[in-house]
Amino acid sequence: MPEELLATALEAARAPGVRYADVRLVDPQRYLHLAVRNGAASSLTSSVSRGLGVRVRTDRAWGFGATSELTPVAARAAARSAVRLATAAGRRTKEPLRLTDDVGPTNGRYATTLREDPFEVPREETVALLTEAERRLHAAHEVTTGLASFQAWEETKWFRSSDGAAFRSRIVHVGAGVSATAVRGAMVQTRSAPSSFGGNYWQGGFEFVRGLGLERLAEAAGREAVALLEAPACSTGPTTLVLGSSQLALQVHESVGHAVELDRIFGSEAAYAGTSWVRPEGLGSLTYGSDQMNVVADATEPGGLGTFGWDDEGVAAQRSSIVRAGRLVGFLTSRESAAWLRLPHSGGTARADGPDRAPLIRMTNIDLEPGDLSLEELLEGVDDGVFLDTNRSWSIDDKRLNFQFGTEVGHRIVRGEVAGLVRNPIYAGMTPEFWRSMDAVADRSTWQLWGLPNCGKGQPSQAAHVSHGAPVARFRGVAVRGG
Amino acid sequence: MPGEPRAPLARVTAAVRTLPDGVSADARLSTSTWTTIRFANGRVHQPMVERRSQLSFRVADAGRLGTATTVDLSPEGVAAVVAQARALARVAPVEKKFPGFPSEGAPRPAATAFSASTAGLSPEAATRIAERVLAAAADRAPGGRIAGVVNIGSESLRVVNSTGLDRAGRTSLAQSSVLVDRPERDPPVSGWSEGAHWDAARLDPERLGREAAERVATAAPEAVAPGAYRVLLRAPAVSDLLSYLALTGFGGHAEDEGWSCLRKRRGRPIAPREVHLVDDGRSRASIPCPIDYEGVAARSVPLIDHGVARPSVTDVVTAGRLGRGLTGHGPPPESPFGDWGPIPSHLLLAAGDASEDELIKETKHGLLVTRFHYVRIVDPGRGVITGMTRDGTYRIEHGEVVGPARNLRFTESVLTALRGTQALGREARCSASERGGLATTCPDLVTKSFRFTSATLF
Repeated sequence: MPEELLATALEAARAPGVRYADVRLVDPQRYLHLAVRNGAASSLTSSVSRGLGVRVRTDRAWGFGATSELTPVAARAAARSAVRLATAAGRRTKEPLRLTDDVGPTNGRYATTLREDPFEVPREETVALLTEAERRLHAAHEVTTGLASFQAWEETKWFRSSDGAAFRSRIVHVGAGVSATAVRGAMVQTRSAPSSFGGNYWQGGFEFVRGLGLERLAEAAGREAVALLEAPACSTGPTTLVLGSSQLALQVHESVGHAVELDRIFGSEAAYAGTSWVRPEGLGSLTYGSDQMNVVADATEPGGLGTFGWDDEGVAAQRSSIVRAGRLVGFLTSRESAAWLRLPHSGGTARADGPDRAPLIRMTNIDLEPGDLSLEELLEGVDDGVFLDTNRSWSIDDKRLNFQFGTEVGHRIVRGEVAGLVRNPIYAGMTPEFWRSMDAVADRSTWQLWGLPNCGKGQPSQAAHVSHGAPVARFRGVAVRGG
Repeated sequence: MPGEPRAPLARVTAAVRTLPDGVSADARLSTSTWTTIRFANGRVHQPMVERRSQLSFRVADAGRLGTATTVDLSPEGVAAVVAQARALARVAPVEKKFPGFPSEGAPRPAATAFSASTAGLSPEAATRIAERVLAAAADRAPGGRIAGVVNIGSESLRVVNSTGLDRAGRTSLAQSSVLVDRPERDPPVSGWSEGAHWDAARLDPERLGREAAERVATAAPEAVAPGAYRVLLRAPAVSDLLSYLALTGFGGHAEDEGWSCLRKRRGRPIAPREVHLVDDGRSRASIPCPIDYEGVAARSVPLIDHGVARPSVTDVVTAGRLGRGLTGHGPPPESPFGDWGPIPSHLLLAAGDASEDELIKETKHGLLVTRFHYVRIVDPGRGVITGMTRDGTYRIEHGEVVGPARNLRFTESVLTALRGTQALGREARCSASERGGLATTCPDLVTKSFRFTSATLF
């Protein structure tokens, strides 16, 4: 049935002027969200979706049509809509639209490796786990909000293009976390674990959730949220900043990952997400950060949310360097954007968040590579500084230069030792200066892979699932203050 | 209702009314068609059409709530989603103060504005609107790089529940935003405009293109030192502030759980009398939607009543917890934004009587901000948010715009900004989310002190 619909849609996309077409059929796209908030069900939701998207290219323009109805009639209608749009869009365009010559697989297969299918775990077992974890968040009466949540996604996809590429994949992502919010007067303090944004996420099965130890994490988070109500405000001024792995992962996301998306650099996202301070001619010559900085885009990384067999243009998953010893050496690209730079091949990062959306350049797993210092050695180099972790607020300008991040928790560092808590820490800076101030990167024992299921981009907005691996790292002379 | 599948509706209605004793349910059947025409570098680059139907089914089993959704509206699909929702409800913790679903006797929704011609607009016609925006911008800013979007479409929503309630509503939307920039300049400059209307015939693409082009500075932006400034915020920037006040101040969870920035401030003045903010899904000045996702009729809900803070909005869950009535702000129970609970969705800030020129003339020393970018909450308890200015920031001296300014980061409490309101523009403009679920209609606003904490390079 899916194969027949793919063929039907591709056939319907054959029209005068159409040079290329691809079809993605997703059935099912499942989402399970179980959340317990203050002892009640914040959300117990199971969603099942499916659909088909057809993308066509004429000499000058793209067109995309989608439907949630998996019938031959609807598939043909979606294809015809795509053709009409591409024809209309190309009417007033003179510049040709070219793609790289990447040829996808003829019969590819990819499936997430998992031990315990999260959709098969009895719901009562998961809810009981969340209920107990949520209960343990309430360390004191000041904790007015406890939240324990679990999410799982499945996407089973068929792809076929007029180039002859075809693949099937089944990808499963899971994640869970806890957070406690303590209130005293106008002071509101939240501690989340293992990270904010609902915890941590992984490509795999429920075994990842079992391994998180939510109940233990909840007790610590509840205690620390209350302790933050008593903590002194973070002091203000330039200082030595040590970032924990989860906050550094978000820093990589915002100030490296988005900045090297080639569609942003060429203005395709200018009106909404913005552009980039990075210019195409910086490839190979731009000093992005210190020589301690090594960043890779790795769509083959086990457990990553940005791991797959082929992207949504049928281009194989790849591992490539983005920054090597501080120098910019790569971009995130699609077949169209790679052709703009006359690159021979796409980097394979074009993805859509469902069958009803056209693929865009999205991060895969963008990792900051570990260094060779132990954590103790890294801290020994700090006489007076702060250790910040777990994001609380995040904002960056539309060229990915000026950023400001708040974290849930901070600790003073005094003569190489991590000391007491500080509350409401905020640090800010400019992307290149910040990365150039990184003078030490801790080793793999501090490195962790963090999943983010909420990376927004595009119109209509798409939420990409991406991951970032990051160690602990040290930055000198960073502007820090208490909010 | 046109476009609504009848057979699935009958199946869904039967399903919510044939549950065992002690079990109740509500269901949402939505059908939508949307065309999005994105353009960049002066050409249409990402055009798309999507058609979607979805069923959301929520079960309440002795106060235990479970929800399931599907796009499979066949008899088997409906049966499966009911079974899923019931299975989830059976294992849910009890919502102790769950008041039950709204009754059939609840007020009926008002007839609201809807444009059938907008709902039926062809992809080619939507593309022509984008071309009109492009042409208007190119005409005023030759050499500028133009990017933006046009969203046009409609959604019909039917909500039924076990009490016999059966409500329907539909929304039409035409929305566009446009940016003109000059990336080749050092530093680069840009201008921007946006508009939204429930009737595509009244979107005025030429005005949007012209405004964006005219807001591109001809001179190089000068650096401005961070600090507190009197600021004239254009409507899109005001819309951002109000949206974040809606989240941190008027969300049902925020009030129930005590972390609202309006904690202990309700019933008290928080802004001058001229600041009058309501939420009204019926308003023709907004993107009307006559019902919420629980079938409750939209009405005018005062949020800041001539300067005085009022209670938050509710859905069935928070109404039960807070011991209040329903305000018509039930979100889709499957919404990924469920952590926020119910929030105001159709904000309307009353306009004043000043033109933009008059607002500028009243400012001796300050800044004019066209829009914000990447706004996020820093401290919900104090309503502090941060974000960047973008696409048209100017210096005002002695009542005149004297030149462009490089963009700045603000970190400020939205309460401080509103408390400092000194004047409001006479024209309220509507901005809307891309599928029309959230809309804000507001004028330009002058606030006496707005804190900028850092600056960027452009």
